[in-house]
Amino acid sequence: MHQINSRYREDAEQDGHESLFALDRLSFTYPDGKEALREISLSIRRGDHIALVGKNGSGKSTLVRHLNGLLPLQSGSLHYQGKTLDPTLLADMRLNIGILFQDPDNHLFCNTLYEDVAFGPMNKGLAREEVDQLVKRCLADVGLSHLIYKPAHHLSYGQKKRAAFAAILAMQPEVLILDEPTANLDPKQELIFKELLRAFQGTLIIIDHDLLFLYDLCDRAVVLADGHIHHDYSFQELVSQQNALREHGLDFTFRFTCCGNDHSHPQTSSHQHHHHHTHEHGGRDSHTLIADEKTPILELQHFNYCYPDKTTGIIDANLIVKRGETIALVGENGAGKSTLAACLLGLHHGEGFFLFHGEQLNQDMRRNLWKQVGMVFQNSADQLFCPSCWEEVAFGPQQMGLSKKEVEMRVAEALNNVRLSGYEKRVPLNMSGGERKRLAIAAALSMQPEVLILDEPTASLDPQSQELLLGILNNLNMTRILITHDMFFIRELSNRTLVMHQGRIIRDYPTSTFLADDHLQDINGLDYTYKSHCLDQIMDLQYHNGRKHTPV
Amino acid sequence: MPVPGKIIHVSGFLTVGILLLVILLSVQGFISFKRRSKNKNKAETPDWSIPTLDAYADSTSFFHNWDPAAKIGSLFPYCFLIISLKSPFWCAIALIVSIFSIFFSNIAWQRGLRRLAAMSGFLLMFLLIVPFSSPARQGETVLIFPLLQSLPFHLSGFLLALTIVLKAFAIALMIEPMLGTSSLPLTLQGFSRLGLPQAIIQMILLTHRYIFVFQQEIIRMYLSMRVRGFTARTDLATMRTMGNFLGMLFISSFDRTQKVYEAMLCRGYHGIYPTFALPQTRIRDLAKSGLWILLGILLLVLDRVVPVLPL
Amino acid sequence: MHISDGVLSVTISVATYALTLAGTALSVKKVRDESLPKIAVVTSAFFVASLIHLPLGPTSVHLLMPGIVGALLGPAAFLSITVGLFLQSILFQFGGLTALGANAIMMGVPALTCGFLFKWIRGSSRMSNTLAGALVGGLGTIFAAVLLAVFLFTSGEDFLGVAKFALVAHIPVVIIEAAVSAFTISFIYRVKPEMLDWKNF
Repeated sequence: MHQINSRYREDAEQDGHESLFALDRLSFTYPDGKEALREISLSIRRGDHIALVGKNGSGKSTLVRHLNGLLPLQSGSLHYQGKTLDPTLLADMRLNIGILFQDPDNHLFCNTLYEDVAFGPMNKGLAREEVDQLVKRCLADVGLSHLIYKPAHHLSYGQKKRAAFAAILAMQPEVLILDEPTANLDPKQELIFKELLRAFQGTLIIIDHDLLFLYDLCDRAVVLADGHIHHDYSFQELVSQQNALREHGLDFTFRFTCCGNDHSHPQTSSHQHHHHHTHEHGGRDSHTLIADEKTPILELQHFNYCYPDKTTGIIDANLIVKRGETIALVGENGAGKSTLAACLLGLHHGEGFFLFHGEQLNQDMRRNLWKQVGMVFQNSADQLFCPSCWEEVAFGPQQMGLSKKEVEMRVAEALNNVRLSGYEKRVPLNMSGGERKRLAIAAALSMQPEVLILDEPTASLDPQSQELLLGILNNLNMTRILITHDMFFIRELSNRTLVMHQGRIIRDYPTSTFLADDHLQDINGLDYTYKSHCLDQIMDLQYHNGRKHTPV
Repeated sequence: MPVPGKIIHVSGFLTVGILLLVILLSVQGFISFKRRSKNKNKAETPDWSIPTLDAYADSTSFFHNWDPAAKIGSLFPYCFLIISLKSPFWCAIALIVSIFSIFFSNIAWQRGLRRLAAMSGFLLMFLLIVPFSSPARQGETVLIFPLLQSLPFHLSGFLLALTIVLKAFAIALMIEPMLGTSSLPLTLQGFSRLGLPQAIIQMILLTHRYIFVFQQEIIRMYLSMRVRGFTARTDLATMRTMGNFLGMLFISSFDRTQKVYEAMLCRGYHGIYPTFALPQTRIRDLAKSGLWILLGILLLVLDRVVPVLPL
Repeated sequence: MHISDGVLSVTISVATYALTLAGTALSVKKVRDESLPKIAVVTSAFFVASLIHLPLGPTSVHLLMPGIVGALLGPAAFLSITVGLFLQSILFQFGGLTALGANAIMMGVPALTCGFLFKWIRGSSRMSNTLAGALVGGLGTIFAAVLLAVFLFTSGEDFLGVAKFALVAHIPVVIIEAAVSAFTISFIYRVKPEMLDWKNF
């Protein structure tokens, strides 16, 4: 099997581009009547590197699931290597096509990583030694050799994602299909993906909203809208036409229009230029608290947190959160950002000083902290638990014991704030990812917290939803703490940035200083600037394209 | 009407002593429970931890070096021999055998203790109820406590309850050497070689894997409820929220079934899990199995021939 | 309440084991082959759901949910419950390994019965589904408690007192199960009603 694969590849290289998939007027309607694909005609050639883009719900996943025979052919035709799909070809084809879905837990269904990665090669009928070599090599490629006999539930999200990728790569696929491979990953892990994908020899189809990630991986762009192919052209063409991007909800340039490259965000006057230690150290443990008229809402001093299993979460955190601030919290995956958030919410009980409005937090205050500190978790869109939007948003206020009238008022206001008025009776689970995210925010807003913590609010949203979210977040007049890898949201929203690394807050400075900080990469290996190069090129293309078109 | 052989009227003094002891023990139990739940309150979620059965599989011992199929094939029937025992004495011997087994299998004794704790509630029910409720037997010893004249304490009932506790403990402790000394997939392959269909084995493995995924899911969901002020009480609102919570969990699990199945198909799954041949059972494994079965039979024979403290 | 080792007589233990194996084999035959992995994944969710404790005055109870399992899985319920109980037994010692057969019958038979009952009475409105949910939630637990009492009693007349006590102890659980099941079914009916059709397996 392996040899056949490589011969195919050689063939492909010899006669240039040969058609691998030929789709002709393919349509698909889900049992619930939702028309997902309409008359798709598409030819995918061997060696193509395709970016499959479009709004959330435009039919990308449905299309990809046809390429692997996961969805039955309803109307139209699909040819793989010139042949129609029959069960034998299907089995053969699946072994040649690696497909990576979004949730890595769905790919890791065995009880050790070894078995997970070996599953594909074993199904191909490879010999034991060959399987063994493949498994070890693929896990080494994604940097997980040390976890080879561990079950997947011992891994972090990013590690799982890499393990799932290794399981796909181990099948030595001729075609690689990836659905948002790098959502929620820190820049360092994103780079591992990028390098492996760059080295990949076969046909590549990537679904992603992050055009900057796709920029130097893909040469062809297929744009889907409402189940229809709207454009099929080179990737360069796609990114150079801002109007087309905008039309398909892909225009990420909203992020730059205000800033330019030499960005200087106006700092609010309330900004505090303090460094790590904000309090006076009189003696060893004499924390004399100066109760100025602007007592911070939250303050941590020498705050430590250890997990019950003794792994350290937070080491010696010193932090002041003042009213009206927006703080960005950055750092590699596992640096302790979410742990710090859980501490600020009173979910984790750490040691050290935790002052709330200048008062050391006691048990009673901790129990009621949820009324003042709101949280929108990562994946919060999957954590909604009410059968209607109204109930979802009303849950918090009801728990606070507010009057019916007050609850009504707050729900209406919160839904209005996130532009979901009129959705009161809708079922949250049946709404789009972007809508659910906004609903999750509304559910926190209705409690009118003093501080709102948002963990990765933009992950796996299409640019249009992101732009909407940016507008919503910008209009909130409360103190915000933003955990994110997204440089543009940091730039747009925050006036102060905290950098975390291995459980410590290693930087606490104005966002403008953070944006100009070139030394961070040396510390935590995070390169927040590597995309700016792609960005410059894209802006350049758009500029030239704009010049071409404006005179008309 | 069976006539008791011996009626002992327990003096008030002794009764007070026993009562005091019981009260003391329960107070201590309550305190340690409180302390534990206080620690629990520190954590963000209720205790939903799931133990790793094969956490100690990477070790060597008599049990680790025993082929899983042969090991299960003899220890499992051995458990059935244990439940056939009748005399408390030989049940106690079986318990001692189990304690030694856990000791020689290089598994932390706390794990055994946790198993015993898990069934303590159920067994306590027997210890407290059976002595008072078991039917009168001809010639047995009966204790009469003051103020409880109408509820005689049957010694035979107490011995029966004790036997149950000893057997339950003996078998529970045997689980660790039996199933905790090989990695879970290997252990289950052992079951398969004993005749359990592969389909079931694969189901168990899959279920085991996704338990951890859903555990993470309910923790995340619970936290998002917590930060919006949810606390569990004994009221209808809590039950409604829990009903929604479970509904959400089941819906997401149904969605996941399809996705996992597709991911399996994509990696060439066609109804069978691929496996490589396992190492063959050696003579030494079979010898161990034979010895263990003999031990069980010996216990059973002694139990029937020399019934110490019979009912 | 799960029966631990050593309580049941050897006859009952072995007989229930044989019945469970037969029931499981029948269950495997009854569902489509491709459904087995899916049932396994759903079983994990039920397993995790049974970890959840609800406060009941000073103590807490965990949910048994035979009614819901039956309503959601139909004929596959018995298989799912057997797999789930096996794992509960070996991981937590909830229920003894030698009593696995009895425990599986105790939960599986009510689940199957409740499943068919639910299908029969659920009707097509949200109200009727909710009520049917409450009914099977409560009945399933009662049925399981009765089976427990029967198993105990048939294992020896000494256990009559325990059997009675176990029955009484289940009364508050029945109420909680009925209420939670009603809300769960109502939620599923509103959000994803097709899940109640057993078409997945």
